[in-house]
Amino acid sequence: MLVVVVVVGAVAISMRKTTPAENRVVKNPDTLVYETIGEMESLDPAWAYDTASGEVILNVYEPLLLFKGGSTDEFEPRIAESWTISDDGLTYTFKIRTGVKFQNGDILTPQDVVYSIKRAMVQDRDGGPVWMFLEPLIGVGTYSTRDSDGNISIPFEQINNAVTVEGDSVVFHLKQPYGPFIQILAQTWASIVDENWCIAQGDWPGTAETYENFNNPQTPPLQEKMNGTGPFKLDRWEHGVQIVLMRNDNYWRTPAKLKSVVIKKVDEWTDRKLALLAGDADFVYIPRANVLEVENLEGIRMIKDLPTLAADAVFFNFEINDNSEYIGSGKLDGNGTPTNFFSDKDVRLGFAYSFDWDTYIREALLGEGKQPASPVIDGLPYVDPNAKKYSLNPAQAENHFRQAFGGALWENGFKLTLLYNTGNEPRRISAEIFKQNIENLNPKFSIEIVGRDWPTYLRDMVAGNLSMYNLGWQADFPDPHNFVSAFMSSGGSLSMFQHYNNPLVDNLINSGIIEPDPAKRQTIYYQLQQIYYDDVPSLMIDQVVGRHVERDWVNGWYYNPIIPGTPWGGDYYPVWKGY
Amino acid sequence: MRSYIIRRLLLLIPVLLGIIILTFTILQFFDPVQRASLYVTNPRQFRDIPAIIQKYHLNDPVYVQFYYWIKEVLRGNLGWSKSINLPVTDAIIYFLPATLELFIFAVPLTILIGIRLGRISAVHRDKPVDHVTRGLAIAGYSLPTFWLGLMLLMVFYGFFSGLFPPERLGTAADAFVNSAAFTRYTRINSLDAILNLKPWILLDALRHLVLPVITLTVVNIAFVMRIMRSSMLESLGKGYVVTAKAKGLDEKTVINKHAGRTALIPVITVAGYLVSGLMAGAVITETVFTYKGLGWWSVNAAIQLDIPAVLGFSIFVGTIVVLTNLVVDLLYAYVDPRIRLG
Repeated sequence: MLVVVVVVGAVAISMRKTTPAENRVVKNPDTLVYETIGEMESLDPAWAYDTASGEVILNVYEPLLLFKGGSTDEFEPRIAESWTISDDGLTYTFKIRTGVKFQNGDILTPQDVVYSIKRAMVQDRDGGPVWMFLEPLIGVGTYSTRDSDGNISIPFEQINNAVTVEGDSVVFHLKQPYGPFIQILAQTWASIVDENWCIAQGDWPGTAETYENFNNPQTPPLQEKMNGTGPFKLDRWEHGVQIVLMRNDNYWRTPAKLKSVVIKKVDEWTDRKLALLAGDADFVYIPRANVLEVENLEGIRMIKDLPTLAADAVFFNFEINDNSEYIGSGKLDGNGTPTNFFSDKDVRLGFAYSFDWDTYIREALLGEGKQPASPVIDGLPYVDPNAKKYSLNPAQAENHFRQAFGGALWENGFKLTLLYNTGNEPRRISAEIFKQNIENLNPKFSIEIVGRDWPTYLRDMVAGNLSMYNLGWQADFPDPHNFVSAFMSSGGSLSMFQHYNNPLVDNLINSGIIEPDPAKRQTIYYQLQQIYYDDVPSLMIDQVVGRHVERDWVNGWYYNPIIPGTPWGGDYYPVWKGY
Repeated sequence: MRSYIIRRLLLLIPVLLGIIILTFTILQFFDPVQRASLYVTNPRQFRDIPAIIQKYHLNDPVYVQFYYWIKEVLRGNLGWSKSINLPVTDAIIYFLPATLELFIFAVPLTILIGIRLGRISAVHRDKPVDHVTRGLAIAGYSLPTFWLGLMLLMVFYGFFSGLFPPERLGTAADAFVNSAAFTRYTRINSLDAILNLKPWILLDALRHLVLPVITLTVVNIAFVMRIMRSSMLESLGKGYVVTAKAKGLDEKTVINKHAGRTALIPVITVAGYLVSGLMAGAVITETVFTYKGLGWWSVNAAIQLDIPAVLGFSIFVGTIVVLTNLVVDLLYAYVDPRIRLG
């Protein structure tokens, strides 16, 4: 009986009639509900580095300035009224707005701004975002206040002198010019906190003597608490369930139109879909594979082809660990691969000409992506419009494989294992494409594809066991430095596991970030893009495009690829509900 | 009896110690980088993996890690659950009410309906009512929980415009229970609604309970029913039941007082298993209906190798199982006078 009811009901759902627009009722008109899968890590702006936390912090706290609308290179003032940059690029001066209050009623002063930045550098937790202050303010190549043994290596004086109050302004003293510094300050990790309130919560009291005590804590003092100047304030955080923000009626600009915002963690796609259709959710996260289920439905608006600042690449490992279980015999004898397999450029070129981007973008991304030529992806400054790209070319692939290892590769063949992390369909599909196209060239070429859970994949990648690995990157700030350092530097966050070491590349990366002249910067980044093509240390396989889905009674949402939460959520200040 | 209870409670200590050591040992099969993956939430943190390993002692010898952990446990600190960003103790307390609320409704329904159907089926053995009852129960037991839950949601939330929604409360009710006008005594919404004299909150909470309770009940009724049927059939064939009938007692007294009571013993065992199983959390049901309780949290933690959470949850469930088994043994003695404890 139950099964019959369920089946009949399911059929009936598909036969529902549409409702005229004039008869539609806006559910929860003062509250925006967003259902997603992400869980926040922390409410502390200096700690949070994930987008789920960043989205909440964006709406409760404010930095000195923010990206203007959908732009990634124009800014509008927030806590700062105006700013100037010295000609040598070493001094940034921000005039601080007056009359701004924190949510507890405290008046914001320039000292709060200085405290906020210093506090972040003092905290500097492992894996946090503060390295983006350290590089410009302490020195390029400084990613931590601690050495490899975990001991403090940056004296407090350097932090203390990096940012100072001068009258009604705050001045940043950079160690060298740093092109994207203003972009870094426009983000959530540069949010301004209330010094007195922080200290009352047990946070760093602002003294040199206590620097070490508050460095790299297990959990930050502001883990669960917020007191910002932004358009919303924290009502409650129900871990694993939802976070609720209420309108700040004392906001220094016109208060937000929404009375509250509820961001819910809902793991099950069907629940999110039904909530969207029922109007109980206004925004939902939709996996790419499920987009067609809600497209063109009544009451639903979908915005597609949103450019992102995110890209994926396949990295070749130049020195595979000789204990790796994935290289078979470890020799070029047809039963394995040698540990220096990808150190031969002809091998890398053979793989480059074996990848079918059209098929990959169509099948893995359902058309929602494009092939970047290099890590300097579209949307960043200094993209070379004439940058060359590889494309599927079996003849060229065969040509390079025949030349590899002096002909021994073609003669003897190889056996390679490619790993992907289970659940990641695009990575599995990219591996399948390599397998199919390369095995078709020579029956002695064999590629086995194996899925492993993420912790195991990570372990093997870090240990150097993987011959190739597939990773993605989303911009911290919209500047090519953020991408070339991650993808090409010998110590890059992504490239560090592939043992690619080109001193010229490292020099260019270090030069590019401190070069104040835009024309010279362009020359440097164009050169890096050419080297990327020539050396082919990795293969850029996609730059995805995003989509946003909302109920059609939502208004005011805008897209900016750099602000956290987009394209699904984002900045809720201008949003309202109604027809 | 009292000494028996005390002995059984003292048994808790070696049982928990055994669980802890076993769980800790299994988790050591994951190497430090695998366990560090819990703390790596974006690629920028890859370079910090060695520091993360050092910070959280992931590479220390097993006995050192165990020492750090047990030292804190003895102080009442079960550690930090990184997957949910709460202390483990707080996480258990936080998610327990949702699971308890499902438990309060699902378990009595399952047991009462299962016992009733089992009795009917046994008394009317091989008659149409027996065949129908057994068929329905097996069908319910065979239904995948995940499928049943999603189908119920699609019909009663999707088609019937939100008649029985997922989660624990609607938006308005959720805002109200978190306001100053409502006191959360237990965080069991239906119970708190009664204590706060708010019938509309009670109604909202019950609306959200209907589907997950139906899902849990349908799947588990068959299990109880079949045990009760077998046990009842065995009891009905016993000599003392035949004697009772021969003495002229009416059918109802024979079934309920003589056969039925002793037939309950295996059912009590099953019920104990059901209680402790549900206390650990109905994982699939909680996930499908976004009704987040202990089951959802424990699986979420296990997937992410959140070791403190897994250990803390193991201790909690171990305690529940031991206590449940104690209650089951006490019930045996009550139901069957032939059983003596001590």
